[in-house]
Amino acid sequence: MEISKDVLAALIDGKLDWERTKAIISGEKDLDRFDKYIEILQERVPWKEKIVLPLGEHLYIVQKDREYVVKCDCGYEFGDYRVNWKLNALIHVRDTKEKLLEVYPYPESPGLPDPEYCNIREFYCPNCGALLEVEAVPKFYPIIFDFLPDLGTFYSDWLNRPLPFPTEFKDLTYDVTKEWRKELEE
Amino acid sequence: MRKVTCVASDAGGTMTDMFFVDEEGNFVIGKASTTPRDEFIGFWESMKDAAEQWGIDLEKESQKVLPSVEVISYAGTTMMNVLLTRLGDKIGLIVTKGQEDHLMHGRGRQSYAGYSYDDRLHTASHIHEPPLVPRRLVKGVTERVNMFGEIVIPLYEDEARQVVEELLEENVNSIAVSFLYSYLNPENERRMREIAQEVMKGRDREVPILLSSEISPIMREGSRINAVTLQAYGAEPVRKQLLSMEKRLRERGYKYPLQILLSTGGIARITYPRLIEAFFSGPIGGMMGARAISQTVGIPNLVCTDLGGTSFDVGLIIGGEYFYLREVEMGRMLFNIPTVWMDSIGGGTGEYIRIDPVTKRLIVGPESAGAEPGPVCYNMGNTIPTVMDCMLIMGWLNPNYYLGGKLPLHTKLAYDAIKEKLADPLGLDPYEVAEGAVNILSNRTREEVRTRLFARGLSPADFHLLIYGGAGPLLMAEISRGLPFKGIFTVWWAAAFSAFGVAGMDHIHRYNRSTSIYVPHGAGPEEKMRAGEILNEIWEDLEKIANKDLDEEGIPKDQRKFQQVAYLRYFLQLDDVETPSPVNRIKSPEEWDGLINSFEEIYSNVFGEGAKQPEAGYQILEAGLIATAPRVKPALRKRPVSGESPPQKAYKGRRRVFYHGEWHDAKIWEMELLEPGNVVEGMAIIEQPATTLVVPPDRKVRVDEWGFLWMYER
Repeated sequence: MEISKDVLAALIDGKLDWERTKAIISGEKDLDRFDKYIEILQERVPWKEKIVLPLGEHLYIVQKDREYVVKCDCGYEFGDYRVNWKLNALIHVRDTKEKLLEVYPYPESPGLPDPEYCNIREFYCPNCGALLEVEAVPKFYPIIFDFLPDLGTFYSDWLNRPLPFPTEFKDLTYDVTKEWRKELEE
Repeated sequence: MRKVTCVASDAGGTMTDMFFVDEEGNFVIGKASTTPRDEFIGFWESMKDAAEQWGIDLEKESQKVLPSVEVISYAGTTMMNVLLTRLGDKIGLIVTKGQEDHLMHGRGRQSYAGYSYDDRLHTASHIHEPPLVPRRLVKGVTERVNMFGEIVIPLYEDEARQVVEELLEENVNSIAVSFLYSYLNPENERRMREIAQEVMKGRDREVPILLSSEISPIMREGSRINAVTLQAYGAEPVRKQLLSMEKRLRERGYKYPLQILLSTGGIARITYPRLIEAFFSGPIGGMMGARAISQTVGIPNLVCTDLGGTSFDVGLIIGGEYFYLREVEMGRMLFNIPTVWMDSIGGGTGEYIRIDPVTKRLIVGPESAGAEPGPVCYNMGNTIPTVMDCMLIMGWLNPNYYLGGKLPLHTKLAYDAIKEKLADPLGLDPYEVAEGAVNILSNRTREEVRTRLFARGLSPADFHLLIYGGAGPLLMAEISRGLPFKGIFTVWWAAAFSAFGVAGMDHIHRYNRSTSIYVPHGAGPEEKMRAGEILNEIWEDLEKIANKDLDEEGIPKDQRKFQQVAYLRYFLQLDDVETPSPVNRIKSPEEWDGLINSFEEIYSNVFGEGAKQPEAGYQILEAGLIATAPRVKPALRKRPVSGESPPQKAYKGRRRVFYHGEWHDAKIWEMELLEPGNVVEGMAIIEQPATTLVVPPDRKVRVDEWGFLWMYER
């Protein structure tokens, strides 16, 4: 199914009706769909670094010099994409009934979590304040690393071209938290 | 002039088919495009087309022709359109408190209902349709009946009054009520209606109140709420449209009430109260026609296949009877409406063909071009090739004889589209690609037929294969290839087969009610009688409802026939068997045993003698009633058999036809001019204005004394 850039832009903005959205979701993808998609996103951000892969509504993995970093559309950088970007975000934890009731409309809402068991964590961009991600987890649960993409394989096997420069597919989050722990112990 | 006595129609998404029967039982078919905005236009055009075959100009002579017509029946998409386009009434819904979000949440299965198999696995595409009743018009009332049918919380009457006030304030046109377990005990629902009526009296405004315990007293909350909601939401708007249709027919000379097809496999007048049964009549007409053939000609076991522009349907007739589904999916929702069983998959000749850019495979469907824009060869703006375009360039279809030549087909457009969009990118010959696409469709249909049989432990060797639908005969050889059926046949009116089925239908209504009966193995007479009494009570109730319906339709009492049924299973089994009761009431333990014997006989026919398991005991979760009254029908008649060689007038010339990778010089025959006994050897094409039968080089076709076309290996 050939989708023009205009239609794709409307899809990204959620402006297509469900019938057309469904047709795109279910249809086979054009070979250049990914590139078209990236082009649209690239035109919309104010910075120059090349988007390698979109990560969410506001976040992108971009190529910066000889590094791949996570960047917010406002320009704020979260560092190496292999480190959970959430470690560098502002975190708001809803761990009391009062805080939870700010987002659940009624005290009797059946979905209202018990704060002793479940907390809601919101992650914000420290620069523009955009809400980037929300997780609902048991209290004390480690921060979830939502998505660590294997960029090299994605480029070579799916886009049939090499990544601009190679990168090791490895979770580096633990290296950072280990440093933090060391600092705390000192 | 011929005396037309019976007119039946079947309006599909693409075409409205018409079937005319005269007083001797002779028949002709007509076809016209469906006109969704005002269905009467397509209906009338189709009637004119059928009449034309008998040399009648209906526009001029309707006042002479229509008064002799005893029945006009309608089956079609009007009802479904009300549901699909959400054009129903503004209604209120009252449920047990706590259940208010039922319509919003919907059943999980509804989020992918009607999807292709690929999309069913593709959860990103699942979505719930907006509910028929907005959330603010759904009200909860405190009450509770438990699973044993006991009232554990009485109806809170002040709340009941309050919600009716609120709904009337919103100007709803009717109110549906569906309480938990009301099919076991309708008391709270009935009290709810009394209170609503009191409130309405006080406000001097009356709207109908519909109870789930009366519309659909069957377990499964979601489907029950859906059923009563649909009746409130859609029945009246649909009735209005049907009444306008009836009025316009009467202005043209028709004297009797218009009749409609019910999903339960019967015909009813449009005044029939439980109009929800008319919403889904889809492929049912065809099954009725197949049963008529099965019973008239004496072919007990049939696999029925209907191939059209958008879908391929398969149904089974075993021992001259079809099966029922008691929960049906339509308009992406599930309803408790008993429906003649037929499985439908995407797979019609209107399906688009594309190339998967990654794997370079041909992909056929699942979307279809429908009537608008139609295949490329219609020249109505579509540029994506469809299976029909392939069949056209392969010479299977006659470009100047589609709908008798009323719709010219553009072979060059089809060829160019196939070459440019499919053949060139793949570096293949356009004809090879075209045949490849046709093969994908025929493999899919053949697999579907195979699965339907083998999944039930049945063998094609015990069945005849009946092929119909406008596109069915095109793939007749391919659908059956490699499956050892007893015989394969089609009929010259294959394209209007569903309408034929509608014409041949009795007046039938079905009524069902849930219950809970368990009788252990070796039970004593008392236990049997207790079970019998529960059944008797249900049958009595259902007969009352049936008599009321039939009164409203004006069916004389002496023409009514009732068959009591029970849905029996061995204890804790998941499926049950519809068992007709040998007696109308169970008055002795021996009569209960009679019912059990009937059940075990049907059970061993379906599942095999060794599958019986009486030591588990017997369970009944539903009982029912089938009410029938006779009607005028088309007659299938034998004609004398003449010689093997077809008459010269049936020969239409030769055409180059592509089949199995080669070009053949095929003889072309006119289907309706072939006579009983005639044999046509492949490679040949047998044409009729609305359908085309392809006879491959390794096959031949013989016309039998009924006029059926049988395909054999040469």
